Amino acid sequence: MNFATIGQNIVKLTIKYWDKFLLTGMGYTLSLAAITVAVGAILGSLIALLRMSKFPPFRWIASIYTEIIRGTPMLLQLYLFYFALPQLIPFLNRKQYLCVAIALVCNSAAYVSEIIRSGIQAVDIGQTEAARSLGLSSRLTMTEIILPQAIKNILPALGNEFIMIVKDTSLASTFFIGDLMTQCLLIKGTTYLTMEPLIMVAVVYFVLTFILTKLLAVFERRLRRGDIR
Amino acid sequence: MATYDKLIEVKNLKKYYNGDAIKALDGVSVDINKGDVMVVIGPSGSGKSTFLRSLNLLEVPTSGEIIFEGVDITKKKGPDGKKLNIDLHRQKMGMVFQHFNLFPHKTILQNMTLAPMKVKGVSQAEAEAKAMELLGRVGLADRAGAYPIQLSGGQKQRVAIVRALAMEPDVMLFDEPTSALDPEMVGEVLDVMKRLAHQGMTMVVVTHEMGFAREVGNRVLFMADGKLLEEGTPDQIFNHPQNPRLQDFLSKVL
Repeated sequence: MNFATIGQNIVKLTIKYWDKFLLTGMGYTLSLAAITVAVGAILGSLIALLRMSKFPPFRWIASIYTEIIRGTPMLLQLYLFYFALPQLIPFLNRKQYLCVAIALVCNSAAYVSEIIRSGIQAVDIGQTEAARSLGLSSRLTMTEIILPQAIKNILPALGNEFIMIVKDTSLASTFFIGDLMTQCLLIKGTTYLTMEPLIMVAVVYFVLTFILTKLLAVFERRLRRGDIR
Repeated sequence: MATYDKLIEVKNLKKYYNGDAIKALDGVSVDINKGDVMVVIGPSGSGKSTFLRSLNLLEVPTSGEIIFEGVDITKKKGPDGKKLNIDLHRQKMGMVFQHFNLFPHKTILQNMTLAPMKVKGVSQAEAEAKAMELLGRVGLADRAGAYPIQLSGGQKQRVAIVRALAMEPDVMLFDEPTSALDPEMVGEVLDVMKRLAHQGMTMVVVTHEMGFAREVGNRVLFMADGKLLEEGTPDQIFNHPQNPRLQDFLSKVL
């Protein structure tokens, strides 16, 4: 193995395949991650609500769901959804991208629900007591007092979840759905080179998550600044 | 001074945890009359805070009755046969907490106008006028636009008191209002409470401030082990204590 050759190959391949493979892959990866987090956040909120419900069976359903999702490998979940969903729902037949997206959403929702639940429960119980003692209903207490404070705990954690998902989408390449990792396999297939596409894609992943991390840090600092005013 | 109109009747109030392993309240009965300034004293773990927090059902008692203005608020159904809405009764019981519990994401003014506007439907202008007047009374009108974090402990607690007063309650419950304060700030909070008492507000105060109990209270309750062991005027309690537990307690705190 010759480092100089690898370096040259990477430069050549990057120039040649930049838009065809890498840009396309980035588009798939980011859109898949965005869809996952957006829909996952909605589904996760619902699960969090169930988890905090006064009605015990709702709580059981929510916690069984989160425990199973968090207790099994994501790759296994992808396989299950990929093969089982089209059999259950004919509409999803041959819609690989959608199946993978649904699997990722279901996975992410479990984690997001925990983020939301802990964000809400981290708000001091004294806040609830003060609000209720003033005669606010439990609903008003939630919307006026708890959620505005919980959101400051939730948003940064949700940003981290997005970064995790960006990386986790690479598992979707198992089914060749067009994300960055899929592109890596495609470059490998056309060029018969192994190291070069791996390094190229690694750099792209790193740049993506690094930018996202920095953006998140700025955003987080803004949120904190609001605390002191 | 009291008119002997019963405002709150507490009957055989019990609060057990873990079945009946821990008896935080073990059969407390007492009447709170209009205009009373009732001070509850006792060693820590005596159940005095649990007693106070039961009065507006922040703690749900295991058994017993709390009849507030003629309605037993521990029951699921009100006298009209409909589901009892505890929020309606809580509006008339102001509460002040040891740790202030101001809403950190709202300004002082917003802290004070939130409940009147959202719960009572008072207009914003009216709620703000009332809030400013109350803030003026505790010398904090100039801090209306500030956030709680910008205030000292004593200022926060004064805001917490007027926040509760903004709902025009019939009784004010104080849960160790000066325990979390730096010593030099205790006075300013006690002064506000003292003035409130002189204006005739019915107050139930759990505190370790024996000076306040003696000077401002018209009734003093001594609790230990979840039981009401002795009740009397400040003179009776502090100068002629009967119960040995009370004598022991006083010898330690005075």
